[in-house]
This record gives sequence, structure tokens and C-alpha cells, in this order.
Amino acid sequence: MKLIKSLAMATALVGIATTAFAQDSDPIKIGVPVGLSGANSVVAPSVVQAAELAVEEINEEGGILGRTVTLEIADDQSGAAGAQKAFDSLVYQHEVDVIISMETSAARNAGLPIVSRGGVPYIYTSFYEGRSCNPYLFVNAWVPEQQVPPVVDQFMEKDGAKKFFLIGSDYAFGRGMLEFARKYIEDNGGEVVGEEYLPMDGSDWTAIISNLKSSGADALVTSTAGGAPNVTLTKQLRGAGVDLPYGNLAVDEGTAKTMGADAAGIYISASYVTGIDSDENKAFLKAMDDKFGEDLRTPNDLSVPQYEGVYLYKAAVEKAGSTDPDAVLAALAEVSFTGPRGAISMNKQHHAPLNMYLGQVQEDGSVTVVNTFQNVDPGEQCPNL
Amino acid sequence: MLILDILTTAAVLFIVSAGLLAIFGVLKIINFAHGAWLTIGAYCAVIVAGLGLNPWLALPLAFLVGGALGGVTEHFIVRPLYQRPLDAILATWGLGIVVGQLITLWFGRDVQFTPGLLSGTVDVFGISYSLYRLFALGAAVVIGLGFAFLLEGTRLGLTAQAVIMNETLAKGLGIDTGKVRLATFVIGTGLTALAGVLLTPLTSVDPTMGVAWLIGAFMLVMVAGSSFGALAVACLVFGGAQVIVSTFVSPILGGITVAVLCALVLRISPKGFARA
Repeated sequence: MKLIKSLAMATALVGIATTAFAQDSDPIKIGVPVGLSGANSVVAPSVVQAAELAVEEINEEGGILGRTVTLEIADDQSGAAGAQKAFDSLVYQHEVDVIISMETSAARNAGLPIVSRGGVPYIYTSFYEGRSCNPYLFVNAWVPEQQVPPVVDQFMEKDGAKKFFLIGSDYAFGRGMLEFARKYIEDNGGEVVGEEYLPMDGSDWTAIISNLKSSGADALVTSTAGGAPNVTLTKQLRGAGVDLPYGNLAVDEGTAKTMGADAAGIYISASYVTGIDSDENKAFLKAMDDKFGEDLRTPNDLSVPQYEGVYLYKAAVEKAGSTDPDAVLAALAEVSFTGPRGAISMNKQHHAPLNMYLGQVQEDGSVTVVNTFQNVDPGEQCPNL
Repeated sequence: MLILDILTTAAVLFIVSAGLLAIFGVLKIINFAHGAWLTIGAYCAVIVAGLGLNPWLALPLAFLVGGALGGVTEHFIVRPLYQRPLDAILATWGLGIVVGQLITLWFGRDVQFTPGLLSGTVDVFGISYSLYRLFALGAAVVIGLGFAFLLEGTRLGLTAQAVIMNETLAKGLGIDTGKVRLATFVIGTGLTALAGVLLTPLTSVDPTMGVAWLIGAFMLVMVAGSSFGALAVACLVFGGAQVIVSTFVSPILGGITVAVLCALVLRISPKGFARA
């Protein structure tokens, strides 16, 4: 009897020892919930590719604190319901050490309570409407305070525009962006002569375009949902012969390229364009090209922050000396990483000052950088954090 | 400007709904795969553009492809369900999902781009207006007149009318109702695919593009019954209401105007605008 007992004790002890040992050599797991289906499915593959490159590079250099890094990709279906499942499975089943991902605002909001409960740091790598505050949440992409001013300034200073017309899709991001745009325009002596929204699945912009034409506006700023609504609006604007200075807050380089002549002349504002002239960006583009070849999805303003997000996490773990969530969270606010977009540090109330680029779409769909704004501050995003 | 907006909006609604009405009028079957056929038509435009051909060629191609697929669908899926209209709704709804997924598999989920058929603006009564929307107005009139001619002036139209009025009697008179049904379904789906091409300059082309139009078209057809004249009136009234509400109240309310008005009309007058 005694023998059995001590045998059991010994096995238990060995068991504890092996788990403790495994903790140090187990891979660090990065959870990536992303919209592989639904509205984000067009851009999600490029985000996954960027994360894969970052992880491959880190593992080749010996991992993080000697541990290899693995990715757990989950489909959040671009919405709240899918995000709940994805976050639940990542946090509680796969027990990831961190979540790093580009997602819709609905998906982010659905995931936040789950990371809070599970105590998992969450680096959000998508630009968004701002003011999402949570001790576990860090954001390394832009907010309206960083993206809108370059476009409005350009129209006011270069085109002498005073009267602005705003058009958007009726959802949090569309309304949030234009709400800030209106405030910024009015604070700078401009006037908003119209602000109109269509539901996200709406496709008939006729009445809005007629209102725009009769409003006497001298510049147009739009913030629709990406993809279909953006294309529909731009086509119908061009069909109706609208040739005002046109700033589109929702178009990216890739979409502009496929839209070609319809997009010509549109101003875009982004923290990343492929034409950034830095060694880091060139090395990044070459590495992406070497790794994915023909399957490469063009890197963009959503996928590059994902790449940098993985490196920011690496820097934070190395600074903290472990993957302990509290230590990592403290370190995330201090570390910096110089990537394709320049030096990124999420040190402003969990948000990051960024270099912003104002680009104009050319006839062939390429984007020319018209102006660069260094270290644009995200403003007061989360004063209570 | 407002009048042109109303006329052209009504025209687009008419183009989109005509194929659905043709099938509902004769077959008493609601083709919920209607949206899928619009999408098929639009992707015909994508294929034509991909081959570098003249974009106008997409119109006949879409009619042929849409009609051919319609023929196959009628034969294998719809034919056994004529006596079970509810099951037919389910079957065509399912078919619509399958078609959408096949398009996704083949072309990917991305938004596709097609060259515009007509671009630029023209001056009408002193205001510049989109040339393509005016063309859509013309196209709607041509489709409407074409159907009027088909129904009133041809043998097929005559037999189709006989089937609409009293199918048992028509059968008794030796009319092959099966053939009439097949022909109607083929024409209806072909026309819907054609409408899909006509939509491409106004909307983006993606696998779910048809769904947005399906409900509106369905409502209009419910109100119009089986008459093309009634459909034209319904499009003008509801399209007009949509434009007026969007312009003066809010585009978000404008989007639901068609649905709300159709429900009201059907409540007050269950036969809708069809006085036949």
C-alpha cells in the first residue's frame, strides 16, 4: 500500500516537473482571429500572410526568449457572433499567449470582454473609429485624428475649398470618421453643406448624388464600408460627372489599382503605401515576394500593422522577460519597433503616433504620394488608461 | 433633376424586376434564385471584359447563358414543383445560395470590375445628367415594349396568356403548357441575366450583389401581379417615392420606402396594382 502511494507521489511529482519544464520550451502561441469570410474576406488573406512572414523571420532568428512562435488562425466571420466563437476557442481551448489581429469594430468589441476575462493581451492592428479603451487592448494603426486632417488640409490649402459634402455608409466606422471630419472642418473655418448616409447594403446613391450636385460643395469626403459600397458610390459619382476634389477615407491602394480610371484623382490618406522609400519597407516587400511569390497579396495599410504587431509583441516579451500578461502589458506601452511604416511605439494611451501619407490615385490606378506628415499624434484616445 | 432621378430609378427597378415578373406571371412560381441570375449576368460582363471583347457583347452573351441555365433549372428543379409553390420558393432560394457559392469558388469573393458601357454626362434641359442612366431609361422602355409585343403579337404570347388565364382549359385546347412554361422560364432568366449586365455600370460586381435587388424586385412583382403595365406603374410610384424620401428626408429611410409602401398597398388592395 505504502509502495503504491509513494509510486503515485513520484509519478505526480514527475508530472509536475515535466509541465513546468514544458512551459519553457513550449511554443509561444499567437492567436489571429480574422475575417476569412464575410466583409473582411478580401483583405484577410494579406493579413495572414504578413503574420506568417513575421513569425517565420522570428523563428529563423531563434524565436522569442528561445521559444519558437506559432500562429493560431481563426475565422471571426467579420462580425460579432463569429468573433465570440473565435476568441473563446483561442483564449480557452488553444490558450494563446496573445491575440494580434486586424478585425472589424464589431468583432473587436465582441472579443474585448473575452480577452479581459481570459487575461490575454490584445494588439489590434486595424485602423478604426477610435476611443476603444481596455487595459488589455493596444492599437498600432490609425484613428480619425491621424487620417482625416491630411485630406481636409489639402483641400482647404491647395484647392481653397470651404464647403464640404460628406457621404458615408451607416455604421460605426463610417459615422465615426465623418463625425470627426465635420468637427475638424468646422474647427478650421470650413462649412459642411451636407452629410448623408446609406445602409451598408445600399447600392443606389442617386438621391445623395443629386443632393451633392445641388449643394454647391467644393470638396467631397467619403467614408463607406470597403469593397462593394465604395465601388458603387465611386462609379455612380463618375457616371453623374462629379469632378470635385474627392477624398476617400475607405479606399486602399489595392482597390484603387483594380478600379483604375474610375478612381483617378481620388485622394487617400494612409499610414502605409507600398512606395515608402525606406530600407525596412524594401526589405519587407522583398521578403514577402520571396516567401509567397505568385500567391502574394499586395501588402497594405491593414496587413503591415499586423506584421509590426507581431514584432512589437516580441519586443514586449523580451523586455518583460516572460509571457506573463501583466508584465507584457506594461512593456507594450514602452517598446518600439522600426518596421515598414517607420518607428512604431504604442505609447500614447495605448495608441501609436504614426507617419501619415497623402496619396493621389493616378489614371493607371497607381498611388502617388503627394505629401507626408511625420509622427501624427493620435490625440486623446483613452485618457483614463 | 428630381424628375430625371425618379424616371431613371424607376427604369432600373423595372429592368431588374421584369424577368421575375415574366416567370411569376405565367408560372405562378416565385423565382427566389432571381438574385443569382442577376449575378450570373454581371459575371458574363466580367468574362467579356476579361477576354478583351467589346463590353456590349456581354448583353447577348448574358441572355444566352442566363437562358440556357434557366432551361436546365426549369427542367431539373422547377418542373416537379409547379403544384407546390412553397417548396419552389425553398428550392429556388437554395439554388440561389448554391449559385452564389459556385461563383465565389470560381471567381473568388473579391469585387470585380468591368469597363463602363457608356460614360460621361449629357445636358438635358440645362442640367448635366449621367448618360448611362438615360440609356437605362431607354432600355427599360425597350424591354417593356418588347414584352408587350411578345405577349400581344406572337403565338407564344397568345398561348402564354391562355395559360395565365386558365391553364386547364388551355391544356384541353391542345396547348403544350410544358413548352410554354419552359419558354417563359428561359426568357425570364435570360432577361434577368441581361439586367445583371445592365447593372454593372451602376454597382460593384461581387458574388452577393443580386441579393440587394431581390427583395425590392420581389415586392414590386407582388404588387404588380402579372401585368407589365402594372409593374411599370409600380416602379414609377415606388421608385419616385424612394427618390423623394431619400432626397428630402433621409436616404436611410429611402432604402426601406419600397418595402413599406408595398406592404401598405397590399394591405389596402390585396391585388396590388393589377386590375386585370
